[in-house]
Amino acid sequence: MRLVEANTVLRGLCAGLVLTALGTVSLPAFAESGAQRAVEAAKQYAGEEITIVWEAGLQSLDPLNYSGPKWEELTGVKVKVIEVPTAEMFTKILQEHRAGTGAYDALNVVPTWMPDLVRAGALEPLDAYVDKYGYREELQSIAPTYRDNQMTVDGKIYGFPDDGDLFILYYRKDLFEDPENQKEFKAKFGYDLAPPSTWEQYAEIGDFITSKYAPKVYGAGQFRQPAYGQLLFQERFRVEGGKFFDPATMKATINNEIGVKVFDGMRADNAFMPPGVETWGFVEALSSFLAGEIAMTISWPPFGRWAAGYGVEEEALSWVPKSTIADKVGYALPPGGTPQLALGFSLGVASNSKNKEAAYLFIQWLNSEETSLARVQLPYALRDPFREAHFTDAEYLSRWPDAKDYLATLRAGADSGLLDLSLLQTDKYEEVLRQATTRLWAGEDSQTILNDAAAQWDALTDRIGVDKQRQAYEDWASKPNAYPK
Amino acid sequence: MSAQARGGVGVGIAGDREFKYLIIAPAVFILLFIGLFPLIYSLVVSFQNINMLEEDTSFSGFIHYAALFRDTRLWESLLHTVIIFAIALPLELILGLMMAYLFLETLPGRPIFIALLVLPTMIAPVVAGATWRLLFDNRYGPINQALGWIAGEPMTILWVIRPEWVYPAIFIAEIWQWTPFMFLILLAGLSNVDKSQLEAAELDGASFWRSFRLIVLPAIWPVMAIALLIRGLDLFRIFDVVWALTKGGPGTMTETISIYTYIQGFRQFETSYTAAIAFLVIVLLSVVVIVALKRMEPGR
Amino acid sequence: MRQRPMTTSLRFLAALLLTALFLFPIYWLFAISFKTPEEIFSSPPTWYPAQIQFDNFFVLFKDGDAVTVGNSLFVATVSTLLAMFFGTICAYSLARFKTGGSNLAVWIISQRMIPPIAIVFPLFLLYVFLGWVDTYHGLILLYTAFNLPYVIWMMRGYIEDVPVELEESALIDGCSRWQVLIKVVFPMVRNGLFATAVFTFVFAWNDFIFALVMTRTDVTTYPVQVTHYFGAQSNFWAKIAAMSVLGTVPIFIAVAFLQRYLVRGISLGAVKG
Repeated sequence: MRLVEANTVLRGLCAGLVLTALGTVSLPAFAESGAQRAVEAAKQYAGEEITIVWEAGLQSLDPLNYSGPKWEELTGVKVKVIEVPTAEMFTKILQEHRAGTGAYDALNVVPTWMPDLVRAGALEPLDAYVDKYGYREELQSIAPTYRDNQMTVDGKIYGFPDDGDLFILYYRKDLFEDPENQKEFKAKFGYDLAPPSTWEQYAEIGDFITSKYAPKVYGAGQFRQPAYGQLLFQERFRVEGGKFFDPATMKATINNEIGVKVFDGMRADNAFMPPGVETWGFVEALSSFLAGEIAMTISWPPFGRWAAGYGVEEEALSWVPKSTIADKVGYALPPGGTPQLALGFSLGVASNSKNKEAAYLFIQWLNSEETSLARVQLPYALRDPFREAHFTDAEYLSRWPDAKDYLATLRAGADSGLLDLSLLQTDKYEEVLRQATTRLWAGEDSQTILNDAAAQWDALTDRIGVDKQRQAYEDWASKPNAYPK
Repeated sequence: MSAQARGGVGVGIAGDREFKYLIIAPAVFILLFIGLFPLIYSLVVSFQNINMLEEDTSFSGFIHYAALFRDTRLWESLLHTVIIFAIALPLELILGLMMAYLFLETLPGRPIFIALLVLPTMIAPVVAGATWRLLFDNRYGPINQALGWIAGEPMTILWVIRPEWVYPAIFIAEIWQWTPFMFLILLAGLSNVDKSQLEAAELDGASFWRSFRLIVLPAIWPVMAIALLIRGLDLFRIFDVVWALTKGGPGTMTETISIYTYIQGFRQFETSYTAAIAFLVIVLLSVVVIVALKRMEPGR
Repeated sequence: MRQRPMTTSLRFLAALLLTALFLFPIYWLFAISFKTPEEIFSSPPTWYPAQIQFDNFFVLFKDGDAVTVGNSLFVATVSTLLAMFFGTICAYSLARFKTGGSNLAVWIISQRMIPPIAIVFPLFLLYVFLGWVDTYHGLILLYTAFNLPYVIWMMRGYIEDVPVELEESALIDGCSRWQVLIKVVFPMVRNGLFATAVFTFVFAWNDFIFALVMTRTDVTTYPVQVTHYFGAQSNFWAKIAAMSVLGTVPIFIAVAFLQRYLVRGISLGAVKG
């Protein structure tokens, strides 16, 4: 912590000096870092209130319990948090923009929505503010994948990447390293029992553990609700070599044999998971893993921290079941080694906010090196490391015995990870996949579901315009993290 | 003066004309604003082409109305609505009637029972839906637990996930909430049936069914018809309970016409298309409602 | 229809079972609101809270979510008062002067029967244009309008039940029309006014779809807030239950006062009960 602060101070000083010398901006004296500059400038808005849209539930604990109160203490500006479920956030933000009430000031947006929100005029371009408050430098220390893919639209800054989301595979080291299990497994399948590198291995290991330990322990358990299901499909489909569209015709190709294989596989996996896994969300998967009922699970980074028992004595986490497996958690990349950079959040400013300046200052402060380092280490945080410094922070590395493995896995995933599909009107394409997921758990035939989904995608593409959509798709597909290398 | 008074207060007193219009004016004005405006506005917008990305307000003909007929999801949602209507309404009626019979005669604590039984009807439908989500939960809900006891083995029924269970789940929630409504009205209806006629029929040896059909049913029919009308219209616009339970899933299996309209308008931002749907629904239902009410009016 | 003691006790037993069955979901909702998170997420579920604790409610107050109950209260109260006043005077005109004949009356009640979703979409566009989204007056106007048909319909029935002679003699005594209305008619139908007002209040209080569409932050009502807890990372059961309980208790209190008028109220006046 101290090391980083010194570093930040130096860097902030340099940046400040350079900018002042250039005469482009006049900075308040002695405001060295992005965080401090934001605090100083925001004091003029003391007594006012800004509204920020945040994902409902756990995510909101950060602004409700930590950053909101802290910001008020530092600047006198109140923060009101509007909690909206993930699946509704895009709609609510766009509805609100259409309604034009100016009810929202700052926004958490999923990066794949940014192009649509920008086109609708809902997001404020931030470049002018970034320059005014000397924040460009600190943006550069965000991990490249997030910085290069989740910050700009058409070359302009619209959001600060603020959450290093990706899917990690968590497994029970005690079961995997048990000599007897290893021997039996090797004898049966001819390779060593280790975190699976392919989906076939995942299924074999899952099956092996379930047939041996169920109902005490199942081979795996995962969240299956549609909002997650569509992300799981996106990842696995690309890991298996699938492409979303035929670039020549822009016809959807999710219903090819790879898509069907993935859907069949996802459903087949449920067989070695606890009964009723189809209804699981984040918390169900978490509590089951912490209770030691499942040997593998794939989820976002907070699982790893809580499974290790980090911070769960916090009052805000009293709802998290006590981890019974704290010293037994292993971390690995999911099969294929290219985890979905699922969702993630960028911080933006609503274009019809009545107090854009104050909203901007709040997000600069939140996102800054100083504040973000504290925020990603909040015990109840759902924000995951996204700056280079987060992965190497000495304090973070020492938070629990295996924290270094954890952070190394996150860092590796941040490089190899796969971006969520981003097109024009992405939300509508995702909605099709969400519905397809519900039909998958309902037991319909994979090919039928995917044919319908592909037909719906094609209909959307036709309505939006094949050429316009091809342009958007090609832009996205040309990014290094769109498909596995 | 007395002649005028005989003819009712309204006749012949200076200022009446103004007064009687003056006092209905605010209400009628508000109703026109909220009732008639949407109709006209839907009509106008439905001939334009406005969606998430475009804002084309020129006349675009009947494209959206033509699209209505090709939109299988729309007609499916109408079908789902009709299914819910056709199953829930008779069930609520029959169960309500049975309950009404149970409470028809004196019973210790009768008023308390009735007061308690009516509670589900007064809860916000969306809260009722949310409550049933909690009850139906596979792991933490009591229903599967209780079923497990009965079956003697753990039951894993995925109520709001599996296609064979979503409709039962919706029906259970819906019937739980609204059977008491039928019950209360039918109980009042039954209480007014002429007891002497029933006793005479019993003495003549008429069966229960016969006296029900010939004496009770005609007597309670006016009240029953109104209960059916109110519930029928509510079921046709069902939104809250289904929204809280399934949001129309799995897939679009439980999407009702209200849910579909909401999704088109507020999730997909198909403004003009939604206006066309809204116009269709308003016109269709206005006709049904006014015809039904016209029949009900003289019996008031 | 003789009384048989045997069947009475059997019927009593059946009534008891039936009531328990119907009340169980409500019991479960309340039970969850008092459970600790660990207890809510225990499988198999516990049938009653191990201890009564109010943390789930405190959280709602601490985070400001409970304000939505206040919003519901304000919006429902004001819209009820407005609908009662405008509706009752309109009903008087319909009942006593037969203004507009039965066509007008039928048109008015038919307004209540249209699916809200069909009305709310164009109204949303209008509200956007007027800047009324997420405002108290916007939502109040909507609820007032939504409830007017009901008030008019109900109060017309109650007024028709009152003998006209009193009004006539008041007029002869030199009262103005307004004085007759306020000093003679209103007191005569005060039970009806009270019962109708409570039902009107309940409709506005329980509404979901208008509030879902027309509110954002400032005016959010409690049913909309309940749905906010669904499906983010999970369903926040403790909050869902606690918020639902907060919103349901006032209704139960209202029902306790309403017993005498329940049937007439929910049957749109068709049953004079």
